[in-house]
Amino acid sequence: MDTALETDQLGKRYGDTWALRDCSLHLPAGRVAALVGPNGAGKSTLLHLAVGLLRPDAGTVRVAGVPPYDNTDVLSEIGFVAQETPLYPDFTAEELVTMGARLNRRRWDGTLARTRLAQLGIPPDKPVGKLSGGQRAQVALALALAKRPRLLLLDEPVASLDPLARREFLQALMGSVAESGTTVLLSSHLLADLERVCDYLIVLHAAQVKLVGPVEDLVAEHRQLVGPRHHGEPIRGVTEVVRASHTDRQSTLLVRTDGPVDPAWTVHEVTLEDVILAHLADGETQTSNEAWGVPA
Amino acid sequence: MIWLTWRQHRKQALFALAGLAALAAFIVPTGLAMRDTFAELGLPDCVRTLGKLGPENNEACLTGYDQFISQYGAFLLVGILFLVLPLLVGLFWGAPLIAREVEQGTHRLVWTQGVSRHHWALVKFGLIGTGALIAAIGYGLGVGWWLGPLNQVGQGDRFDGFFFDMQGLVPVGYTLFAVALGVFAGTVWPRVLPAMAGTLVGFLGLRIGLAMLARPHYLPAETLTFPVMGTAVAPNATAGDWVIASGVRNAAGELVVDGGSIECPPNPTGPGANCGADLEAGTYNWQLYQPADRFWLFQGIETGIFVALAALLLYLAIRRIRRIA
Amino acid sequence: MIEFVLDGRSKVNTYMQLVQQVKQALRVGLLVPGDQLPKVRDVAQSLAINPNTVLKAYRELEIEGLAEGRPGVGTFVRRTLASPSLPNQAELRTDLVAWLHRAQAAGLSPEDVTALVETTMRATLPAESAQNLPA
Repeated sequence: MDTALETDQLGKRYGDTWALRDCSLHLPAGRVAALVGPNGAGKSTLLHLAVGLLRPDAGTVRVAGVPPYDNTDVLSEIGFVAQETPLYPDFTAEELVTMGARLNRRRWDGTLARTRLAQLGIPPDKPVGKLSGGQRAQVALALALAKRPRLLLLDEPVASLDPLARREFLQALMGSVAESGTTVLLSSHLLADLERVCDYLIVLHAAQVKLVGPVEDLVAEHRQLVGPRHHGEPIRGVTEVVRASHTDRQSTLLVRTDGPVDPAWTVHEVTLEDVILAHLADGETQTSNEAWGVPA
Repeated sequence: MIWLTWRQHRKQALFALAGLAALAAFIVPTGLAMRDTFAELGLPDCVRTLGKLGPENNEACLTGYDQFISQYGAFLLVGILFLVLPLLVGLFWGAPLIAREVEQGTHRLVWTQGVSRHHWALVKFGLIGTGALIAAIGYGLGVGWWLGPLNQVGQGDRFDGFFFDMQGLVPVGYTLFAVALGVFAGTVWPRVLPAMAGTLVGFLGLRIGLAMLARPHYLPAETLTFPVMGTAVAPNATAGDWVIASGVRNAAGELVVDGGSIECPPNPTGPGANCGADLEAGTYNWQLYQPADRFWLFQGIETGIFVALAALLLYLAIRRIRRIA
Repeated sequence: MIEFVLDGRSKVNTYMQLVQQVKQALRVGLLVPGDQLPKVRDVAQSLAINPNTVLKAYRELEIEGLAEGRPGVGTFVRRTLASPSLPNQAELRTDLVAWLHRAQAAGLSPEDVTALVETTMRATLPAESAQNLPA
């Protein structure tokens, strides 16, 4: 299968802090991938590297096999909707479509953009600064799609939208993905939306990749186990314990499996949300009782 | 890109055009009126014979000068207001150019289209720079013409201080520099207000610093000496020289009076009869000056410095843009 | 043409929900062979779901022999799941309509008709199958 986006040991540093480190992943073409992680995990950094806004400090990033930084050939094949869906507020939607045509001479489908905006009832002659947040997001999406991109990158596109606008945005997105077959990588906090929309998952945590893969496989290979107190000994069928919580007699584990699990354990299926949260909460929480001056 | 630049900056362009029109509406009628008066008072002849006539023959001319200056001298103060025009261009054209894009996040929109950042920057800088250049040339020539008569009567010596800064080529250098400084400040402080503040401080600092410290030394100053006694023709400020320092020195060359000069008529009589009597023999007047004919040379040097600085700042801005995400 | 709905609280996979809805429609005769299933794009858009999910559901139906994809046109129903009684239903329905008209002429209100049908059914049909009737 074609690879739409590929990174190898990719790293980006701000001063002494790595915003992204040792990031190696493949995003197969035709997927709708979710990029998930807490704030500051490096989601925007990864997207900015992929769209060529940033130059890597380590490793490589390739879109359709080519590094995107300072490469307009690749840029014209990437659609990007940045966080907060920035648009020139004094431009009308019509002017923004014209701008797209002027800036993308090689590849621009103005008719597509106008048709979409007309269907959504967006006025062509009103400054976009006066439109609702949902409408602005739709304009930004229409502009990105008019490039007929092979890769569409969306940075928190629905974070600031109300539930109705969010649904409308995702409807528009899914409709056009079905039409164009574009590969999508979208970062989001809203796990509930992702399960329906995405079929590929990338989890970032503390500047590193924690989990990558097709959603279906990831959900299928993770299980929740409940059983007697576990002390770290290996369990048959389990390759990795992602998260564990214990009482004095019982342990609850979220694990990755590669076969039937030891029948001593009660096995529960998990949702995508469970998997993501388990990986994000990876490791024991460091209590800060001392810092707060309260007894443990 | 050109369409986008025009669409984004057309408001600023119209404001600038309106500003220039207002300026023209002021300087054209007043400039013509000044020239009429100048001719009526017979001042062109005085200017022609400048520095060649003795003071007694200058009487008519001096009266004319005084009359002219009392009528139009106030315009010089208005002219000082014009000094801020290049700065305004820097603040309102230069500073927001990048700072506003980054502040609104729109750089992520425009730099991810099919046009490289480099190209974007070159077209933007090029068009804004050309706009500023045309405005500045118009302004510089216009104000130079307007100040002509005032320059000639020696009030507001065109080589001196503010008046040098107001006219000729230098406004072009200042304007380009102000724009470039604003653009660069926008890459350092990617918000409009801090970028404007940085531009303001940087522009004033460099302008004042250069004018005070560097300009007198662009070329070695000439020295003029003339005797205290029996000065037939006093070196005339209206000759357009830029007197940097003056004083009275004794025979040993030590400065006895700092600033000013002492001039005694030949064979003094009356109340001034003992003029210069208390001075040592051999005392003479001393002036350090830049000759009037260096005016355009100095304009060129100063313009060159600011244009070079502008080019450097734009180059640095382009380098910094590569790192903004 | 049918319209899909999703049950957000269901534990069933999204694609499986789509498959089940098509099968249900086939069972009640809402879809018959030759009918076109909704376009992938329309389903993805109206439900805001990944088009690959819709494709997967349609592929599942193809594997089961219930539908076939025609490249560039869409996905069409190939086989029905309706019981063989389905063709008879039309005739029975005509009888029922005639009977209802008679009942109306005899002065029965709709409530009377419902009550009469229910009591008669309980008395005539075996208890087991009566339970399966919709309430």
